[in-house]
Amino acid sequence: MIFSELYSTYYDTVARVLKAAVEHPLKKDELRDIIEKNAFGESILNIEPALAEGRWQLIRPDGSTPLRYPPSTPMTTLEKRWLKAVYADPRIRLFTDEDIFPGIEPLFTAEDYCVFDKYSDGDPYDDEAYQKTFLLMLDAIEKRYPLSIDTANRKGGTARLVMMPEFLEYSEKDDKFRLRGSGCRYGDTVNLARIVRCEPYEGTFSRAPRTRLRPRTQKVEFELIDKRNALERVLMHFAHFEKQAERIGFDRYRVTISYDRDDETEMVIRILSFGPMIRVTAPKHFIELIKERLKAQKSCER
Amino acid sequence: MAYSELIKNFNRIRDYMREFYVYGFKSRDEYSRKSARSYDDEKRRLESWLGDYMQFRQTPEGKTVFLSIDSRVSRHNPLYAAWKTKSFTDGDMTLHFILFDILHSPGTALTLKEITGLVDEYLSSFDEPRMFDSSTVRKKLNEYVSEGIVVSEKRGKTMYYRRAEDGDLPDPDVLDFFSEAAPCGVIGSFLLDKADAHRDHFAFKHHYITGAMDSEIVCLLFAAMSEKRSITIESINRHKDRLSENRVVPLRLMISAQSGRQYLMAYVPRLNRIISFRTDNIASVRPGEVSERFDELREKLDGMIPNMWGVSTQSRSGGRMEHVEFTVRYGESEAHIHQRLEREKRCGTVERIDDHTSRFSADVFDSSELVPWIRTFICRITDFSFSNKALEAQFREDIEEMYRLYGLGEVAEDDLQ
Repeated sequence: MIFSELYSTYYDTVARVLKAAVEHPLKKDELRDIIEKNAFGESILNIEPALAEGRWQLIRPDGSTPLRYPPSTPMTTLEKRWLKAVYADPRIRLFTDEDIFPGIEPLFTAEDYCVFDKYSDGDPYDDEAYQKTFLLMLDAIEKRYPLSIDTANRKGGTARLVMMPEFLEYSEKDDKFRLRGSGCRYGDTVNLARIVRCEPYEGTFSRAPRTRLRPRTQKVEFELIDKRNALERVLMHFAHFEKQAERIGFDRYRVTISYDRDDETEMVIRILSFGPMIRVTAPKHFIELIKERLKAQKSCER
Repeated sequence: MAYSELIKNFNRIRDYMREFYVYGFKSRDEYSRKSARSYDDEKRRLESWLGDYMQFRQTPEGKTVFLSIDSRVSRHNPLYAAWKTKSFTDGDMTLHFILFDILHSPGTALTLKEITGLVDEYLSSFDEPRMFDSSTVRKKLNEYVSEGIVVSEKRGKTMYYRRAEDGDLPDPDVLDFFSEAAPCGVIGSFLLDKADAHRDHFAFKHHYITGAMDSEIVCLLFAAMSEKRSITIESINRHKDRLSENRVVPLRLMISAQSGRQYLMAYVPRLNRIISFRTDNIASVRPGEVSERFDELREKLDGMIPNMWGVSTQSRSGGRMEHVEFTVRYGESEAHIHQRLEREKRCGTVERIDDHTSRFSADVFDSSELVPWIRTFICRITDFSFSNKALEAQFREDIEEMYRLYGLGEVAEDDLQ
């Protein structure tokens, strides 16, 4: 069972409390601090009195514990089965060549599920050069050193970038990793599959001005008419964005979505995919983008 | 019953989370038709678990509560928190930590009597020590045996218990990535809770997190598939607000990276067909007998995939198969459009007509599933044809309606005059 107290935040928090108490008798402030850092907003109202009043007889009144060792629980079979399944995923080769838990049945296999609408030109996870680049990037992100990167461009040439890697971004839809970096005047995103050479930058890295990664959030507002189950389809489709929805009529809703400016074209076509169920109402330039496409479509029909 | 931050049953909170996260426009009155107290309790719980993401808005209909999460920014799925809220008894908590302290080393194997005696010793330093009888301790140990964290072994007539062998936790990068990118990723999140503090190296784009709420259901479906078992699923028809039961053979989970929906493809003996069930509509899964036809049915599903755009296995027109094709035109600097067709098609073929024109065609069970994708090419569709003529007419009418919505319809009429 996934829904089990064994995996609960309360058990996890109490384990952290006990780990500290094994080392030294806990003071009230310390106890509260651990609870506030690790449990939920209201947990302090439950965990502290349960321990203090001896309902959970794990901490004595003087803050010591009868336990002799820092708490640890072995992995459950469910956890091992999940890891076993993960270690059969082609993407695991980006991290390790090892196998895990011989004799344990995976929770699922490649035959048991499929992501049916991801794009077909995903990254080459079994390619050794790609794997090396991936590991180098993880190392550079962790240790904070700049990278010199040559990427193939659409015209068949290469471009050299020097940037401070910040994190790797994965899109399941594209089945691609992108490096998000900072300090480079030519952009902050590099598709890993386009990299032809990547190595630590040996020179003195000087961050180009105004090149820190920061959100470039834009908003689009549209009205939605709930025909053909559009309300559910639209809200599910845009669920991964920060959004607000409000009812403005019997079957009409106003939805506001925040998106990254760089993804505007993608946003336009995603909105178009809902046809007349959505009418963009703001901002003006977004309405114009939709209108331009519709005008172009009209011209195709002549 | 007094309010508690923790819960015994996940299904009710699952519905509330879905409402607050996916929809988020309903007022308290709309939720509380069945029980105002239930609404208040669930809202309070979600505020406690997911406070940073809860937002409120005042509308003429009242105050609305919603969850607003940009999954590209949050490195871990916040909804996993809900799976870490199972309630327990005071005895459960006390026994858990004492038992694993007693069984600290995998080499320590003890009898029930020895363990019960040691538990008493641990508790003797409290003013009013709890007493756990041996049947309570045995029940807990057996629970842990079934979870795989304690091993029981018989020596002669006596049962001994010891801690199960543990494995090393994988690199945190593995857990950070797969807890978001693999099915039932919440299990990776449980493992991450045990890992040392570390910096996250991954973010996720186009990342749907709603599937997290179906993790238990998906886990039960995987378990049934691995044992090739039939199951009985109880599913909710949200439009009719009705529950129904179906005995099915589960064959595959189909996950959409573009809508966040997850579907079970299953054979339904009553209909003698393979159809899809949305996992967020499945309320419960009850395992049944092993199905001798499992392999044959999965092979049948494999044979159907080349004609499935999504998860539909039946045409709306009544025909066995529907044909759809459309042609797009692109300019000198838009050669990537042909690549887009190739990359994004899930079945069918793409044909390059000339340097500026490509045509997609496919035979599918249900061509209505392609319509949203075809619309993404609006501005360059020069021709389209559906064997389902009603759908073709609707597609055309929808585009006309879009012209009207954006004030382009009249221009067209002027053009005609």
